[in-house]
Amino acid sequence: MKNVLIAGIGNILLGDDGVGPYVARLLAAHYEFDPGVEIADLGTPALDLIDQISGRDAVILVDSIRVDCAPGAILLYRKPDIMRVCPSTRMDPHSPALVETLLSAELFSIAPRDVLLIGIVGASYDSGCRLSPSVVASVPPVIAKIRSELDRLGVTHHRRERPVESDIWWTVPDEIPILLPA
Amino acid sequence: MAKRITIDPITRIEGHLRIDVEVDNNAVNNAWASCTMWRGIETILRGRDPRDAWMFTQRFCGVCTTVHAMASVRAVEDALKLEIPLNAQYIRNLILIGHGLHDHIVHFYQLSALDWVDILQVPKADPDKTAKLAESLSPWTRNSREEFKVAQDKVKAVAASGQLGIFMNGYWGHPAMRLSPEVNLLAFTHYVQALEYQRKALQVVGMLGSKTPHIQNLTVGGVANAIDLDSPSALGMDRLEAIRVLLDEVVRFVNEVYFVDVCALAAMYPEWFKIGSGVRNYLAVPDLPLDSKGSVYDLPGGYITNGNIGGVHAFKTASDKEFRESVSEDVTHAYYRGDKPLHPWLGETVPAFTGWDGEQKYSWVKAPRFQGQPMQVGPLAQVLIGYAQGHPLTRKYADLALAKVSALAGVHATPDMLQSTLGRHAARAIRAAMLAELAQKHWQLLVDNIAKGDFVVHNQPVFNGETEGVGTHEAPRGTLSHWVVVKDAKIKNYQAVVPSTWNASPRDRSGAHGPYEAALLRTPLARPEEPLEVLRTVHSFDPCMACACHAFDPSGREIAKVKVL
Repeated sequence: MKNVLIAGIGNILLGDDGVGPYVARLLAAHYEFDPGVEIADLGTPALDLIDQISGRDAVILVDSIRVDCAPGAILLYRKPDIMRVCPSTRMDPHSPALVETLLSAELFSIAPRDVLLIGIVGASYDSGCRLSPSVVASVPPVIAKIRSELDRLGVTHHRRERPVESDIWWTVPDEIPILLPA
Repeated sequence: MAKRITIDPITRIEGHLRIDVEVDNNAVNNAWASCTMWRGIETILRGRDPRDAWMFTQRFCGVCTTVHAMASVRAVEDALKLEIPLNAQYIRNLILIGHGLHDHIVHFYQLSALDWVDILQVPKADPDKTAKLAESLSPWTRNSREEFKVAQDKVKAVAASGQLGIFMNGYWGHPAMRLSPEVNLLAFTHYVQALEYQRKALQVVGMLGSKTPHIQNLTVGGVANAIDLDSPSALGMDRLEAIRVLLDEVVRFVNEVYFVDVCALAAMYPEWFKIGSGVRNYLAVPDLPLDSKGSVYDLPGGYITNGNIGGVHAFKTASDKEFRESVSEDVTHAYYRGDKPLHPWLGETVPAFTGWDGEQKYSWVKAPRFQGQPMQVGPLAQVLIGYAQGHPLTRKYADLALAKVSALAGVHATPDMLQSTLGRHAARAIRAAMLAELAQKHWQLLVDNIAKGDFVVHNQPVFNGETEGVGTHEAPRGTLSHWVVVKDAKIKNYQAVVPSTWNASPRDRSGAHGPYEAALLRTPLARPEEPLEVLRTVHSFDPCMACACHAFDPSGREIAKVKVL
């Protein structure tokens, strides 16, 4: 059985940066997976991310990204794409983030073989717990992408007949109607 | 002709700290510390249930989640004058200690050691000589030739590949790097080993808090841990024993590796005891309460002004009247509206961004002041304040560190020398050793209290009218305070004055520099275009701009690591 982490990353207090945790919790409420799959809302783990990814077979990360594309656009990055980014000067503990985590994990020979980052372009990172409509609209295709990646990895998953309550405690869920893939 | 150097991880949303220094004759003659992103997350809390506030505040910062959760419940409990059951105090203390040990180890090895350790010298070391040197310093059993060889081979492979990877951005070969290849190998090997022990410290937090990175077991009035000695799902003897084993391993790493490495490093860079003192006013709050009322603590607090260690003032409690009444925030040089310093209970957070201007406004960080003065917070403040009060545990480890440095460097190291860049690292190691001893003490206190048949973990909060509270915590980076005004069981106002706000503070209305800024003045730079010395001093504070917006930037093209204007 494969050891897989599906992690939402981002700050739920800063607008669209909270999309990762939102997707992680929605996924856990509506779908069931092989016992080897862990779903986590990791917030903004910085250096502690290395403890979360080490020793896994595969990691799927959902995070907001900042690129010159329309809000809500979804971009995919694999391990080599991420590791090509130049690590920056370490000013504070937030600086060593995803790139440095993967580079360190490679150095210590504990990096997962498969890494997929599903990046969602945010519209606003102002303080507040709501997602923008364009980012909300990107959630169903993000979930579809997670499921197709699990298919590729040979990990089984299916939609729950009765969803459990999604623990998205920081915002009002009924303001965000979402059509989830079956 | 003075030139301006900006250090700003500019395209990275994770890096919010920007440092500008003006350099003349290879020394810093002016400095500005700024935060490049708006905080003001506190405004989200207005109107919410005070019992939920900690869930939100622990998302302020992904690095220090638990500390903001703890300060928040303490603020509401202070407003309600609520006592906390003994079990809850001990469980909270163990979580705070676990987090603190994790943070100090990570800070030294992952975030600042490479300011002093030259990775590219590691391949030149002789592993046999390294093992002999290590044996003379410490009884650590993993200081073997084999461990050194494995670590060295990793660096050799990276260097041979031509792709430096994680080490791409270091100032390797810089003239301010002065360790022998063997000491570089020793430190690098411990950098690798530290990963295992920092994880064990975090596991303690997870086992008590039911989850990391965000603990789930807090509640206003206590904790939500069910105590049942025989149940594997509750907090029982099995889990307590597993926690003890983890703590023992972390304690050994702190005493035999971290503490020793910092003393050895200090002995090899003694000139850094004379650089980077800056603001010599220090502030710390008492922490690790030993009774339900919060009147006796294991860590003392107080304040020192003008570096006068003998003239220390003590705080009796974590919400001491003098502390409550003496804090204000000034926004003269911060991007907020407001024309006078305000007490946090009256605090306003109205953004007014005007762009970086060193003469006017230049930071999103407000300037907190204590009795109108800038204060340095963090392990150095805590150690000096404890030492000055004759606190036995502080004296034990501070004297041990000073004696080790004196013996290794052949100098007479004094507590006064701790007021420096190197002193901040030494103080952090001293504090880690204190926390390590206290970890075992508080574990025993918890077990003994449960053995007496006390299973109480929570007192019910009762809301009544309008009240104010302050919740403090002496966090890894220093004094943290959350200030709440509760009205009719709702939050009316909320302000967090975080350690890095004190230390990264901009100038105030009188023009007084904040601690980072003041510490950088007169710092000598061997190569101004490679300002390693600036990073050494800034990193010695363990900076963390607690806003943690984290969007990944895949372009990586314009990373302006250092810009010389």
